[in-house]
Amino acid sequence: MDPVRKEEFDSGACGSLAPKTKACPRPKPGEAAGGCSFDGAQITLLPIMDAAHLVHGPIACAGNSWESRGALSSGPSLSQYGFATDLNDSDIIFGGEKKLKESIDYIAGRFAPPAIFVYSTCVTALIGEDMDAVCKEAADRLGIPVVPVNSPGFVGSKNLGNRLAGDALLQYVIGTGEPEPEMQPGVNLIGEYNIAGEMWDIEKLMNSAGIAVTSRITGDARYKEIAWAHRARVNMVVCSRALLGLAREMESRYGIPYFEGSFYGAKETTYSLRQMAYLMNDRDMERRVDRLTEREENRLAQDLRPYRKLLKGKKAVLYTGGVKSWSVISALKELGVQVVGVGTNKSTEDDVRRIADRVGDDTEYIPEGGASRILKTVKERKADIMIAGGRNMYVAMKEQIPFIDINQERHKAYAGYEGLLRLAKELTYSLANPVWKLAASPAPWDREAPPYDR
Amino acid sequence: MSKDKLDIPDYNTLFSEHRFVEQRLNKQQFEAPCSEQETAEALAYSKSAEYMEKNFSRKAVVINPHKACQPLGSIMAALGFEKTLPFVHGSQGCNSYFRSHLSRHFKEPTPAVSSSMTEDAAVFGGMNNLIDGLENSVALYKPEMVAVCTTCMAEVIGDDLSAFIGNARQKGVIAEDFPVAFCNTPSFVGSHITGYDSMLKGILSYLYERSGVEAAPGRGEETGEKLNVMLGFEPYTGNFAEIRKILDAFDTKYTLLGDHSGNYDSPATGEYEYYYGGTKLEDVPLAAKALGTLSLQKYTLRKTQEYISGTWKQQISALSAPLGITGTDKLLEAISELTGLPVPASLTEERGRVVDALTDSHPYIHGKRVALVGDPDLLIGLIGFCLETGMEPVHIVCSNGDVDFDGVKFKEEAEALLSASPYGSEAAVYVGNDLWHMRSLLLNDPVDLAIGSSHLKFAAKDAGVPLIRVGFPIFDRHHMHRHPIIGYQGALNLIGLIVNTVLDELDRNNSGFNYDLVR
Ligand code: SF4
Repeated sequence: MDPVRKEEFDSGACGSLAPKTKACPRPKPGEAAGGCSFDGAQITLLPIMDAAHLVHGPIACAGNSWESRGALSSGPSLSQYGFATDLNDSDIIFGGEKKLKESIDYIAGRFAPPAIFVYSTCVTALIGEDMDAVCKEAADRLGIPVVPVNSPGFVGSKNLGNRLAGDALLQYVIGTGEPEPEMQPGVNLIGEYNIAGEMWDIEKLMNSAGIAVTSRITGDARYKEIAWAHRARVNMVVCSRALLGLAREMESRYGIPYFEGSFYGAKETTYSLRQMAYLMNDRDMERRVDRLTEREENRLAQDLRPYRKLLKGKKAVLYTGGVKSWSVISALKELGVQVVGVGTNKSTEDDVRRIADRVGDDTEYIPEGGASRILKTVKERKADIMIAGGRNMYVAMKEQIPFIDINQERHKAYAGYEGLLRLAKELTYSLANPVWKLAASPAPWDREAPPYDR
Repeated sequence: MSKDKLDIPDYNTLFSEHRFVEQRLNKQQFEAPCSEQETAEALAYSKSAEYMEKNFSRKAVVINPHKACQPLGSIMAALGFEKTLPFVHGSQGCNSYFRSHLSRHFKEPTPAVSSSMTEDAAVFGGMNNLIDGLENSVALYKPEMVAVCTTCMAEVIGDDLSAFIGNARQKGVIAEDFPVAFCNTPSFVGSHITGYDSMLKGILSYLYERSGVEAAPGRGEETGEKLNVMLGFEPYTGNFAEIRKILDAFDTKYTLLGDHSGNYDSPATGEYEYYYGGTKLEDVPLAAKALGTLSLQKYTLRKTQEYISGTWKQQISALSAPLGITGTDKLLEAISELTGLPVPASLTEERGRVVDALTDSHPYIHGKRVALVGDPDLLIGLIGFCLETGMEPVHIVCSNGDVDFDGVKFKEEAEALLSASPYGSEAAVYVGNDLWHMRSLLLNDPVDLAIGSSHLKFAAKDAGVPLIRVGFPIFDRHHMHRHPIIGYQGALNLIGLIVNTVLDELDRNNSGFNYDLVR
């Protein structure tokens, strides 16, 4: 099978084929930047729960990262194991291919996984390990797929890693299996990782409308279902532009139409469900979806009423990667929360356009990370709450800013109608917690003192 | 909120509902899972001696590692110094892992930057990245010192830190006299503890050598400094407070060499700063005139200890983590010996109170079989504590225990300690093994309690053993690091954790015959 074409790869890391002025931003030396491509590739593939994921490199990459994702599984847990070749200095000099081979053999023998994903890291890429050859040889010998994922950290950002993981799926997995004959054709969900169980909420909705999920790519997935992903009727790219290339390639290879959508907020959810039914070209299904979305939206409007009252006019600063920035804005708008600052750090031009469509003119764009930059916006815009990822959480706490974790470590599911309700609840709780009052008031014996001049 | 009519089922309860149970069963059909019988058989097999043997003969692959890599330790060491920005020379991913790793443990932000090397750097070397990185980070984060360590990538391509930093100065990117300490920390050797050691030594030697101060061992009186104290790779901010309390009770002056407790336990004032507390940079050269140095992690701090005794010619007392009564006794004796001061009465009294507490609890912990996982110095302390309270260490796994101090290997010391006590007779020490080995041990030869980091929770759950969280990292419990585990107070905290876990288990598994009010 053909790998993704070179030109495509060069056209920018974020999945857009058209050349554009602003590619995925390069990490800037001397900043506290985000994760690497290896990290990005892992995030994309780890939710394939029954597969083994083996990190080929020194202990750094695996030792600091295993089992710390919030992608939940409804069954198998092999993916949560931290497998690593843990190369030492002599392996670096003499090569680690033998160790890699033995590691693959051991995992295959002991854990009998349906497939093994093998990740390259900075070091194995640098010392020129021929991972592809080792994987191919092992796959032939063991009779199970052994998929090399060539995404060492230094090639770039997390986004690029997401995309390289998608390439590995295209090259080695998708199209290699067939679904059970009785399965009805349905939709692939691409780029939804079942963080905090969001996939389950989405699936529940789709099931209620009679839309089948063909493959989850990759939240709570099983290896097999990805192998038969080419039999789906529709691809939905959920909140992940990095995997847009995957959808495009599937369209040209297998003729599967795709659309981009999100499940954050009622509007986006309804749109996504409608779009699925429309692309499935099934009138009955469309009617079912209409009934379902209408019912759910009405119910939600009822349930949200008390929260809307409390949240109306509150201001938030949103700092999160890529697509989530615009889709979460919609969700917040539905709750009456105004986004006064938004991170565009990892956003593509398309993302920024969509952000612009959704926010007012006086919203500040925060192009670059760094805690101080975000804090400045919060202060200047008098925001009530900060919505960002885990790494910024403790900075917010220090500054006594109410905070909600929206990224991959979050423990709450915010997708779909119920998710919006949950988001409303979290926002009110976070804003209303008495600890903020406590934190903002000085000790009683200091209260008479003149106000502290900052 | 007064009227909360929202009822959203949590997936923990949601998934026990009939429709979901059914859905899952249906899903299993195409997952082609093993039958329940097969699953049971596999579990039984994993408990067998046969599998354990196979598991222990595994060489190539590490499954569920219990060590982090060198640069992570370096960052912690750098944050022990005033206004110091940790700088990781390599690709950016590592740094982001380190920051979240440390932040998840301490629940505090971790300031650290990276030179963000990419393919070009892999081909042409990382000099430009380092220079640009220094320029940007000094401008952005306004540190008073930068502490640079390397990742495996920079090491593999052979970047020369010293030369690069020199070039940065020549180019005028950083001022001639702006301090930039550095050390080499490839992650394919050592672990987080060796990285800590390298950076601490890097900073001490760098600041000392550029100061022009002459080392003058034992002249502490003159400089007003008496004692240097190093805690090492210290995941407990509470331990810093405890050691201060003890030293203050002695009424001795001291310098903590590397004190990151400020950075990881700063107050909520409503304003985040990048740097909190830490050893003052100007105190480092003066430390070369101290009476002596007390090291609380002798395996961790090997290079630093060597440097201090070799270059500063100081007397060193090197201990492992002073846990329990005996461990703390040794600590107090060491302070007393180095300073010539008697052990204060207040500490003797505290000792008495804690011994009393141990006697209260001993009926519940005597003979409890425990499994231990941790760094070498922590394990020596924990083994000592178990033995003095009548608990029996059975399985001891140390992933990074391939270290020696003064020619004695960690394993030898641990074994000697164990064989000197009747409670250690069943123990076996495993060095270089991982948590998958530990799982085999737990399933094969069950224990009552497991003591170790959060990473041990999976193996402990499989084996049905309660986990007492001690060490690093502790991701899934809050505030543990604020409570000291060293000193007499630490002994009290540990015994409280342990005995109350035992009592919780007793109540949980109680059939009702012995569900007593008073224990
Ligand atoms: S940057 Fe390279 S060495 Fe670091 S975690 Fe990523 S792949 Fe591993």
